[in-house]
Amino acid sequence: MLLIDLQSVYCLNHSSLQSIMRIHYFVFAATACCILLMNLPVKAQVNSGESVPDVTRTIALTNAKIIPSPGQVQERSNVIIRDGLIIAVGPDAAIPFDAFEIPADSLTVYAGFIDGLSHTGIPQPKQQPEQERPDDPANPPDELAGILPYRDVRPLLDPKDKRIASMRESGFTAAHVVPRGRMLPGVGAIILLGGDTPNEMVYQGETALYAQLSGARRMYPGTDMAVIAKLRQLYKESERRHRADRLYREDPTGLERPQYDPVHYAMFPVLEGERPIFFHTDGVLDLHRVLSVQEELGFPAVLTGLSQSFDAIDKLKSADLPLLLTLELPKEPKQNKKEPPADSTETPPTDAPAELPEIMHLDYDPDHRVTSFTDLESEKANLEARRTIAYKTHVGNAAVLESEGLSFGFSTGSASPSDLLTNVRKMIEEGLSENAALAALTTTPAQILGLTSSMGTVEVGKMGNLVVTRGSIFDEEGQVKYVFVDGRKYEIEPPKKTSGSDADAEANPAGTWSLSISSPDGEIAGTLTISGSDDDWSGTLIVDITPETSQLESIAMNGNVLTFSFDAGEFGNITSSLTLDANSINGSFDVPDIGPVSVSGTRTSGPEKSTTVQ
Amino acid sequence: MTDRMRLKTVFFIALLSVAINSAAQELPTGDLLIRNATVLTVTNGTMENTDVLIRDGIIAAVGEQLNAPQDTPVIDATGMYVMPGIIDAHSHIGISNVNESSAPVTAQVSVGDVLNPYSIAIYRALAGGVTASHVMHGSANVIGGQNETIKHRWGLLDPDELRMAGAPRTIKFALGENPTRVHGRGNNKRPASRMGVEYVLRETFAKAERYREAWAQYEEDVKTNPRAIPPAYNSQLEIMADILNGDIMIHCHSYRADEILMLLGVLEDFGIDQITLQHVNEGFKIAPELAEFGATASVFADWWGYKFEVYYSTAYNAAILTRNGVLTSINSDSGELNRHLYHEAAKSQKYGDLTDDEALALITINPAIQLGIGDRIGSIEVGKEGDLAIFDRHPLSIYAINQKTVVDGIVYFDIEEDADDMRLIVDPESTVDTAVIHSHEDTHQCLYEGSLDLYDFLESN
Amino acid sequence: MMSLLYSLLTAAVLLIPPSSWKTDTVTALTNARIITITQGTIENGTILIQDGTIIQIGTGVDIPEDARVIDLEGLSIYPGMIDSGTQMGLVEVGSLPETRDASELGDLSPQMKALTAVNPNGVAIPVTRVSGVTTVLTVPSGGMLPGQAALINLHGYTPQQMFAGFEGVVLRFPATGRRGRFDSRSEEDIKKAADEAMKKLNDTWNSAELHQRIDSTYQARPEDGRRPEYVPSMEALRDVIRGDQTLIIHVNTSKDILAAIEWVQTRGIERVLFSGLAEGWRVADKIAEAGIPCLVGPVLSVPTRQSDRFDKAYKNAGLMHAAGVKIAIRSDDTANARNLPYHAGFAAAYGLPLEEALRAVTINPAEFFGVDDRLGSLEVGKEATFFVADGDPFETATTIHHVFIAGYEMPMESRHTQLYEEFLQRTPGLHMHNQD
Repeated sequence: MLLIDLQSVYCLNHSSLQSIMRIHYFVFAATACCILLMNLPVKAQVNSGESVPDVTRTIALTNAKIIPSPGQVQERSNVIIRDGLIIAVGPDAAIPFDAFEIPADSLTVYAGFIDGLSHTGIPQPKQQPEQERPDDPANPPDELAGILPYRDVRPLLDPKDKRIASMRESGFTAAHVVPRGRMLPGVGAIILLGGDTPNEMVYQGETALYAQLSGARRMYPGTDMAVIAKLRQLYKESERRHRADRLYREDPTGLERPQYDPVHYAMFPVLEGERPIFFHTDGVLDLHRVLSVQEELGFPAVLTGLSQSFDAIDKLKSADLPLLLTLELPKEPKQNKKEPPADSTETPPTDAPAELPEIMHLDYDPDHRVTSFTDLESEKANLEARRTIAYKTHVGNAAVLESEGLSFGFSTGSASPSDLLTNVRKMIEEGLSENAALAALTTTPAQILGLTSSMGTVEVGKMGNLVVTRGSIFDEEGQVKYVFVDGRKYEIEPPKKTSGSDADAEANPAGTWSLSISSPDGEIAGTLTISGSDDDWSGTLIVDITPETSQLESIAMNGNVLTFSFDAGEFGNITSSLTLDANSINGSFDVPDIGPVSVSGTRTSGPEKSTTVQ
Repeated sequence: MTDRMRLKTVFFIALLSVAINSAAQELPTGDLLIRNATVLTVTNGTMENTDVLIRDGIIAAVGEQLNAPQDTPVIDATGMYVMPGIIDAHSHIGISNVNESSAPVTAQVSVGDVLNPYSIAIYRALAGGVTASHVMHGSANVIGGQNETIKHRWGLLDPDELRMAGAPRTIKFALGENPTRVHGRGNNKRPASRMGVEYVLRETFAKAERYREAWAQYEEDVKTNPRAIPPAYNSQLEIMADILNGDIMIHCHSYRADEILMLLGVLEDFGIDQITLQHVNEGFKIAPELAEFGATASVFADWWGYKFEVYYSTAYNAAILTRNGVLTSINSDSGELNRHLYHEAAKSQKYGDLTDDEALALITINPAIQLGIGDRIGSIEVGKEGDLAIFDRHPLSIYAINQKTVVDGIVYFDIEEDADDMRLIVDPESTVDTAVIHSHEDTHQCLYEGSLDLYDFLESN
Repeated sequence: MMSLLYSLLTAAVLLIPPSSWKTDTVTALTNARIITITQGTIENGTILIQDGTIIQIGTGVDIPEDARVIDLEGLSIYPGMIDSGTQMGLVEVGSLPETRDASELGDLSPQMKALTAVNPNGVAIPVTRVSGVTTVLTVPSGGMLPGQAALINLHGYTPQQMFAGFEGVVLRFPATGRRGRFDSRSEEDIKKAADEAMKKLNDTWNSAELHQRIDSTYQARPEDGRRPEYVPSMEALRDVIRGDQTLIIHVNTSKDILAAIEWVQTRGIERVLFSGLAEGWRVADKIAEAGIPCLVGPVLSVPTRQSDRFDKAYKNAGLMHAAGVKIAIRSDDTANARNLPYHAGFAAAYGLPLEEALRAVTINPAEFFGVDDRLGSLEVGKEATFFVADGDPFETATTIHHVFIAGYEMPMESRHTQLYEEFLQRTPGLHMHNQD
């Protein structure tokens, strides 16, 4: 049985998070701990032929920054996991003698992410056998028609499904999984994204009935409208059979024996309010249709998918149902080369994806007219601008839900695992708060799935499901280093960098760079400006939290590595080594008494920027 | 940040030209004063230099030199022609599904469950002066699905806001080539002939009668026996019983005279006295029988020849039916024809010399009556809903161009103000230059190949 | 019973013209407003016709004493309208394959001649001509090179009698657009299919050009040349390549139109017409520059793009004309080719000058098809192919009173009028005499 409790949604307070980060900037100065003690002798699970066997079920993450729940931060704390449970959290938590210790000074610990709905662990059938044609397409067997409300997902689980490992690499530790299929594919289960057998994986079965507006092929119900009609029929007849069954069980005297059937009887827990229907909606039209039929029949429901829900906010509000938003996003439209206006003295247009939409946004004319062939260029530009706005609107869906006060969890649906974190970051770029994003990955799905007592936060007594990252998980440079599932440690290989530039060619660092400096306490923004050429470089650095501008010294380019040093006042003389890759830069600042601090950045203007690489 | 701008045009115009009196949950309605127009009332003749005043979406006054509250938006229609909003009695725009063709009887499905307010075809119909459409299930099945009467409130995004609340329920039936081809030849299931079509009708109605009886018996039993078990629920027979009870109007796709007479016989046997025949290309042959039954007809202006059951057709059909006392409308069944229904109506003057009022009635009051909404729309009369089209010339002229279309007192189409790109939603993954070529060949293929009714070609859900 | 027989016989009956007069008798149509198209409008004028030809036209015309005189009492005479794209005579009932002769198997069948398959008794023929459409291009439709379209007059007992003097080879240019609502191919698939089709077209043309060269050499010096292989499809393209026959290229999207222009220029094809041109307005300047005449339509159509203004299809012809493209209008219909004047009327309502709209269904197509010495305007020496109307033929309610094709006066009857006559007041009505 699921507990659906959405009343206790976290209040997300962005400014408090900022002030915490500011305070810890000063802690940053005093923290002389070893930031780079990360060379742990643990082989990456993905690449090694053989994992080093675990010798203990007790693990201690020490000196970590802990985000117990969205909006909360605990600095320099320890997390102790034993036998799959979190047994201690805090700065003073004692490290047990049997603990495998992971110094986590520069790392952040989050509660393991929970996927609200997907088919993780249920491999796609390899090749669908030629589908059987029913004798009578008007009355096909329920199984052929995709009506399997009695089917349990658990026997379908395959621990070797590749999606399990790749979801884990993005920080997911548990998932609500449902069978694949059409109208009513079956009943879901909560699984842990770790374990060697289906039984190890299953956390809880019989969670919810999964439904979608997906018709059968060339038989009834084929269309969306028929799926809706079939649902009505099924529901109302189930109500009748439920009543008949109840009356008979109370007292069979004088009553015809109701006959069992798996389909209608599988609906009884739904009728009794004990099993919600997780109803998938793909697009706003689906959403309206599902909301209408849910209101009509009154079944307990959780809405999933919810793409384009920005167009149905009022209806979502009045429906007041739990929401699971898909992490799938549309592909970003390809930017076509845009000719600068002839009379413009602006800098040439760039291909920075973060900027161009803004430019085009301004160019969109909702009243645009095309009167003849002479207007085709402006038409194309306008339509492309509108498409870009549409893209941003889709990405901004989550932010709209948040700003409208609609709490939601994330579901991974059929999104590619490698896109999950990227897509969360894109949503944040379009206005979603980090706290809401984290809640949607942890506490809200836990509430919707009735898992609050075991998952969703880093608290004593909860399961040892954790994500440990270098840098903020929401930062583009943030990396998942470890994932713990049920107290079991998985070390995650960093994704391979793809390099588009010729390593031999000496890169040109000139221009303005927007930097992100990873302190143990959070990200600090900075602006690096380099000018000059060859061996005559000059430059400045501004770090956002101090007003001073630092002049760079000893600037040198060696291949594609830029080195310089600067005087950082109370921090001493910092040396820097940054590697250029076209318009991105990565490397570290070596801070006296602290050690290397990782730095990344992108070029916002400069010569390299305008001559598009590739 | 959001794509609300796309709505800008729609609502900008609405705000400019009318005061929207919109309560939070209610549909928006407007006030509007149209000055100095030639008003084609349809039911009360033509009135020159006349004003039409709409208050809260309802026609409040029609006459000369009307007074209106000071902030009422005004349209100077000097030299223009105002007619009732055009009503398309047979359309498939604004829905995601047309045919549930898996079964010869699908009374339980409803296109009203799959309305699509984003369909650009709605806007294009609006541009042709059409304010309401009877959007129908297709003609694959003898007893198809339920239809929906919608108003073209372009820009309102909730599908429920398209519905014309209170319009009677209707259902699609179909006789002849389409159901016999799909089920008989396609699935080797009855009906494979017009004999089978009759049997499917009779069988289904007879089952519905028994279903109705069984439930009546249960309602009786449960009064004395609270442990009575209701009969099995059958959503299909529920709808059929509603037809028998006169709660749902039948609109039957039909062509040939013989099959129409068969249908009238079946209806008579089951005590159903209401029927609108759709297409009914051979209706002219049995106009006296139709008139006697009280059947009404909704026809094409001149479509014929695309299949055998429309080979013996005449474009004079509407005129013959009208002259024989059969209430007749002209419909489009097409996302192309519905943009010039005023021109389709004018063809009844070429083919049969109907008067202006008779011709205009074919696309206004007559379809309204057939849809059971003749007391609400279809003519310009005080108390009716403020659905109007304003043309620059007499709408029966080929050169007439619709200037503004008004629904519920709100201007939803304005030829001067509207942008080119009036889509309400854009697929971010689409290309900006995707072109679809629609030829008459396409049109005809839809009638006899892949799909079964000529549907809205424009949808791309 | 009588009525059934009557309607079954209708088709045959309608083709018989009134024989109360002979065509060598002079017929005078007097008191007419004569819209000559090429030589202005003559008020209160007279047309004399004899042996199928206009022999006099004007106001001060002497009418021979033995002439048959038709006093038009102010009605208007227009040259017969020409529909530049139909399948008249090739398709009887759209859904019945047995009655469709528009498509042959295979991609390459330019040797197929539409004229061969024209059924002079097609029911749509009288239905069409009583609306003033006297002449149509009837076009085959299967594959890339479906065959040769033929210009036919809508009267005659044999295809040869109907033939109006023009045949052109049809090329359906490889299309990158979607083919209607049900075309759900991916962009890649569409492009791939178009690329393959383009390659096939070029391969075909290379072969045809070679075949033509071999043939020319052989014709010039048969004694030392080799006779080309017998390849009928290539022989059918020979006259196009030599510039002796017209190639009619069906093409619609802007991208395809540009590709077609380039292809025509690369191949050096001299006599070309474009047909369709749903997006012609988008590249109207390029078409005008290339100087290729266009058979535009259907006008009554939906825009090609969702983002297009609602009236783009109506405006297309006018925008093309404004850019300097020479246009004719086609209905792209068969059963309802009678709606040609409404296609022209909508184009006129949406920006095509009325006079040009008239030319687009008369003299322009006559010129494009090289039959302007016979058809397309009212001039002395041209065929007596015209109609008499009580007003603007584009106006929906206008009635056509007379139709003449090559001097033969057509009965103003068709299946549609016959059924009207029979059923307006059906006898018996509701009851037979012997019934209550």
